[in-house]
Amino acid sequence: MNPLLSMAFRNVLRNRRRTLITLAAVTIGVAAVGTIRGVLNGLQGNIIKGSIETTLGALQIHRTGYLANVMSTPLSMDFEADEALLSKVRGVKGVTAVAPRIQFAGTLTLSVPEGQEQPEALFFAAVAVDPKLEPAVTPQRSKLFTEGTVLDETHVVLGDALAAAFGAKRESEAVLLAPDRDGSLNGELAQVGGAMRAMMPGEMKIAVVPLSLAQRLLRMEGRITELAVGVDDVNRLPQIAAELRAALGPQFEVHLWNELAPERKTIMGIQDGISVIVSIVFVMLMLLGVANTMLMSVLERTREVGTMMAVGVTRASVMTLFLLEALVLGVLGAAGGLLLMVGLTFGLAQRGITFTPPSATMSMEIFPFLTFGFTAGVLLTAVGGAVLFALYPAFRASRLRPVQALAGR
Amino acid sequence: MTSLLLALLLSAEPPSTKEVLAKYDAIMAPPTFKAVAQMTAHRDDGSTRGYKMAILKGVDDKMRLWFQEPAAVRGQEMLRNGENFWVYMPNLKRALRLASRDNFQGGDFNNADVLRANYTRDYEGTVKEDPKKADQWVVELKAKTPDSAYDSVKLWVTREPLGMPVHGEYYTASGKMLRSADFSEVKDFGNGLKRPAKITMRNEIATQRFSEMLWESVDVAATVGEGKFGLSDLGH
Repeated sequence: MNPLLSMAFRNVLRNRRRTLITLAAVTIGVAAVGTIRGVLNGLQGNIIKGSIETTLGALQIHRTGYLANVMSTPLSMDFEADEALLSKVRGVKGVTAVAPRIQFAGTLTLSVPEGQEQPEALFFAAVAVDPKLEPAVTPQRSKLFTEGTVLDETHVVLGDALAAAFGAKRESEAVLLAPDRDGSLNGELAQVGGAMRAMMPGEMKIAVVPLSLAQRLLRMEGRITELAVGVDDVNRLPQIAAELRAALGPQFEVHLWNELAPERKTIMGIQDGISVIVSIVFVMLMLLGVANTMLMSVLERTREVGTMMAVGVTRASVMTLFLLEALVLGVLGAAGGLLLMVGLTFGLAQRGITFTPPSATMSMEIFPFLTFGFTAGVLLTAVGGAVLFALYPAFRASRLRPVQALAGR
Repeated sequence: MTSLLLALLLSAEPPSTKEVLAKYDAIMAPPTFKAVAQMTAHRDDGSTRGYKMAILKGVDDKMRLWFQEPAAVRGQEMLRNGENFWVYMPNLKRALRLASRDNFQGGDFNNADVLRANYTRDYEGTVKEDPKKADQWVVELKAKTPDSAYDSVKLWVTREPLGMPVHGEYYTASGKMLRSADFSEVKDFGNGLKRPAKITMRNEIATQRFSEMLWESVDVAATVGEGKFGLSDLGH
């Protein structure tokens, strides 16, 4: 072993208590930063998977300009859901499923027996889906449904807030009123198939309606406003979207799930920001601990440095020695941190964390996981940072004058 | 002479809100009448859709409306009785409650605009001069009940005859203008009723959209049977 390196090891072990405290700081810092990120990975993985597999689908296709006008729920920006179009979409590599939909808004009320006061209709936003094709694109949607819920050609599923507002039970008769494609009012009857929990805040007054019923209600036989697309690999979404755009031409627009749910993208951005700030605080505290240890070490060993220089050790070697000591501290601490981080994340992932977002009614199970890139980044920051923060103490040591240092000044 | 009259008008004290609203109601919503009207909804994409309807108004602000055109809504009926609005759907053979502030057939009027026009009962406020419009009063109104069509209304009416509407602005509780209306083509409908035959309602949120309501006939002398305003009469 390089003599300087073996000296560095020995020096680190000289004051064991101080070394242990410093190592503990680095270990806890690294483990905390890594574990927080791991939990966040689990949460965000859940949001992504939940968004794609319960409601949105990985990609959506609309008539060009639809999304820009989405606030007015433009039924007139519809298109024919013919087999030619569907097979064009299915033909793109990576597409596993495609399902037709209509997004619309209307009012809903329950029909009550003769003589009873009918409740006033409530506004709702609905997605109309084909009960047979939809599960291939959003396989987890039924997980939001309460037990025993049915979604088929005659049953609608109401958001739980909407269902609760009417006291709707299964097989209650619901009346849907909506302006049709031309704006004229129309109504249809449906059975309530059950209720649906909200995964994200603000999803309360929603309903899932069978496509055929919506097409009668909106007088849009054979027409839809949206195609939802399932893919084999979520990491290839941008490429698949680009190929779809090329295949479909300028009349259609293709959007990724996160462009369709900008609020979720924002939430995830905020989470990332907060975790970065917390990580920086942890890393700074742990590195300042290293710097403090190194500075104390230099001050204590003034005579020793003087002796080394007196017997011919160069200034550069002195500086290298102290930097190597910091490196040893950093590597040992990071290694401990890695072990702790992996242990914690693995333990949490085994058990799962159950969490209900505020004002949502569907709890989520979070399984933390680590990514190689971030973990490697944290370890490198700990090791590199330890060396960087030792620069000043090491520089001070290397600038000592041998005669004065020998005198302990 | 004209200038003298104008000077007289200008110097006039504003009449009471009650007086102006009573005149407005007498012009726009006589106690009973039978009418035929057409609405044309102009949509964002430039397309239009026309509706033809027969309207019956009974005492105590009861109102019933039959849609005749287009085919998609033929047989639909609307009823207002007290605070409640109903729509009868012929395909479902039943009447359903509507919210007063829902759009009227996807146009830019709301249900209360068409079926509930009793300003005396719904609003209170003040009458002021508009320095730019010497021949008009501007009436600033606040809703008395949440069932009224809007939270607040600014209404320009002529001074002579008093209460004939010219322009209206309709606001939310937060002061955002939702819609604005122009009343035009004052026409003599007979039996002493002179009122604007055309109301153009502009959507101030989606500004490409507007709707026109054209009153073809308003017969205030028609006999209006009380039995026409029962819920069970809808569809018959």
